[in-house]
Amino acid sequence: MIRTIRSFRHLVALMAAVVLAAGSATAWAQPSPDELLDRMNHVVTTIDYEGTVIRWENGKSEVLKIVHKIIDGVINEKLITQEGNGLEIIRIGNDVHCILPDKQTVLIEEFHNQSTLFSALPSSEIRYGAEYDVSIVRGDRVAGRAAFMLAVRPHDEFRYGHRIWLDEETSFPLKTEIIGIDGELIEQIKFADIRIGSNISKAALAPSMSLDNYSWYTAPARFAAVEVDTDWECIDLPSGFRATSTRTEQLPGADAPVTHIVYSDGMATVSVFIAEKNETQFVEKSNLGASNTYSLQRGDVQITVVGEVPAVTVRQIAISMQQN
Amino acid sequence: MNEALQMQISAFVDGELPENESELLLRRLSQDAVLRQQVARYLEIGRLMRHDREVRGMNQLRGRIAVALGDERELPDEEQPAVGSALMTPTTGVAVAATVAAIALLGLSQLQGPVDPLLQRAVAIDDGPAAYTEPAVEQVLADQPNEMLMQYYLSHSGSTSGLGANGIFTQVVTLELREGELVEIEPDPHLVPTETAESNEEESAIDPL
Repeated sequence: MIRTIRSFRHLVALMAAVVLAAGSATAWAQPSPDELLDRMNHVVTTIDYEGTVIRWENGKSEVLKIVHKIIDGVINEKLITQEGNGLEIIRIGNDVHCILPDKQTVLIEEFHNQSTLFSALPSSEIRYGAEYDVSIVRGDRVAGRAAFMLAVRPHDEFRYGHRIWLDEETSFPLKTEIIGIDGELIEQIKFADIRIGSNISKAALAPSMSLDNYSWYTAPARFAAVEVDTDWECIDLPSGFRATSTRTEQLPGADAPVTHIVYSDGMATVSVFIAEKNETQFVEKSNLGASNTYSLQRGDVQITVVGEVPAVTVRQIAISMQQN
Repeated sequence: MNEALQMQISAFVDGELPENESELLLRRLSQDAVLRQQVARYLEIGRLMRHDREVRGMNQLRGRIAVALGDERELPDEEQPAVGSALMTPTTGVAVAATVAAIALLGLSQLQGPVDPLLQRAVAIDDGPAAYTEPAVEQVLADQPNEMLMQYYLSHSGSTSGLGANGIFTQVVTLELREGELVEIEPDPHLVPTETAESNEEESAIDPL
C-alpha cells in the first residue's frame, strides 16, 4: 500500500489537480479537502439519515439497516442486522438497547460517548500534521448519489490509508475504506441506499417487534477511570503519535487497576494497557479487522497494545514501552 | 534467491558458515529488505518443517541483523511475548446469546492470527529488533480472544473515536454478560414497536396539543 501510494502519489495529485482545474463549476470541484472534511465532521453530527449499510471485513460482509435522527438535540440511532438472529440495537441518547429476538431479551447499557456511527472519521488535526496527505482523487457514485473520493495517504508503514466517499450535496460520508500497508482492503463500510436529511419518522427508531414478555436487563458501569501521571513511556514512538491521555481503569476481570495510555496521530489511535502479570494470559498478537494487538510480559507487568494501526505499529510500541 | 545464497543462509542458520562469510551475509541482509523477507520466510518454513519452536541459529541471526541495522535493543528472556490461553466462556443463557449475537455482529469470531502467518511473521522478523522468540504459528491460530483482551478492546474503543462504525457495534459487547452481573429491570415504556409508534405518531399529529 505504502509503496503504491508513494509511487502514485504524484500521479494522483496531478490527476486531481487536472480534474479540479479542468472541471466545470461542479460542486465537488470547488471545495478543498479541508473544507470537505469540515463539512463532513459537521454533517455527521447534525443530519438525519436512514439506509442500508454493507460492512465488509476480512472477506466477510454483513448488511445492516440504520436509522439516525437527532431529536431535541439527542442522538437516536437504530441498527438492525439483516442476517442471523435479527439483533436490533437502539440508542436513545446515552442508553443503548440491545434487543435479542431469539432470546426475548433486552439488554441496556449506558453509552457515555457522543460519537455517532460515522463520527470516527479524520479529525482536523491530520490536516496540520506531516503524517498524512489528504486529497480529492475523483468523482464517483455511491448509493445512487454523486460523490467524490478523498484519499488519506499515510507517509509511512505505521498507519493505514483511508478512502472516503463524500456525498457531493451534503458531504455526508457514503463509503469508507481502510487500506492496509500492502494495499489490501481491510475494512469497508458503505451505504447501498440512503435517505439523507429527509423527514425520518420517529417510528423508524422504534423496535420492529413487540417487546411484550421480553426480559429486560442492565449491567453495572463497566469501569471507573481516573486520569493519572505515569512513569511509563514509549521510547520509540512512531512519528506523529503523541500521548493524549493516561489513566487507570478498574477493568472487569483484572485484580488491580490497569494503566491505560492512549496515543494518537490525529487519526489512528493506539491504546497501551499495563497490567500486573498474572496467570491469565492471552494471544501475543491478533487482529480484528483494522485493529491489531500485541502483548508481551516485562518483569512483573503485562503490556498490551491495541490499535487501528498495522501490526508493525502495535509491536513497535509494545516493545518500546519503558518505565522510567 | 539463488541456490548458492540459499546454501549460504542454510549454513549460517546451522552455525556452519565461516565468520567472514557471515559478516558479508549480514551486511547484505542489512541492506536488502526484500532479501531479509525471503530469508525470514526461508527460516520460518524450515522451522515449521522441523516442528521446532526455534530454529538453531535463529536468535543469533536475528540479533546480528538487529546489530547490523544499528539497533541494539534486545529483549531479555523474561520479556518474551505472553502465551495465549483461555477462551471467553460466558455461562448464562442470556450471556451466551448476547455474546454470540455480539460476536456475530462484531465479527469477533474473526479475531485471529494473521491470514498469512508465514508472511506476517516473516515481516515481523524482518522489520525491527526482533531479537526474541516469535510465537509458534500454531499458538497464534489456536488462540481465541479471552476475556481480558476483550476488555482491552472495549476500553480502547470506549476511549477513542477511531473505530468508525465499530464504535456502536462494540458497545454491544460492553454489556457485562457474565453471570451474576446482569440486573433485571422494568421494561422501558418508551420503547414500543414500530406499529404502536406509528400509531402514536399519527395521533400526536392529529392532536393539536
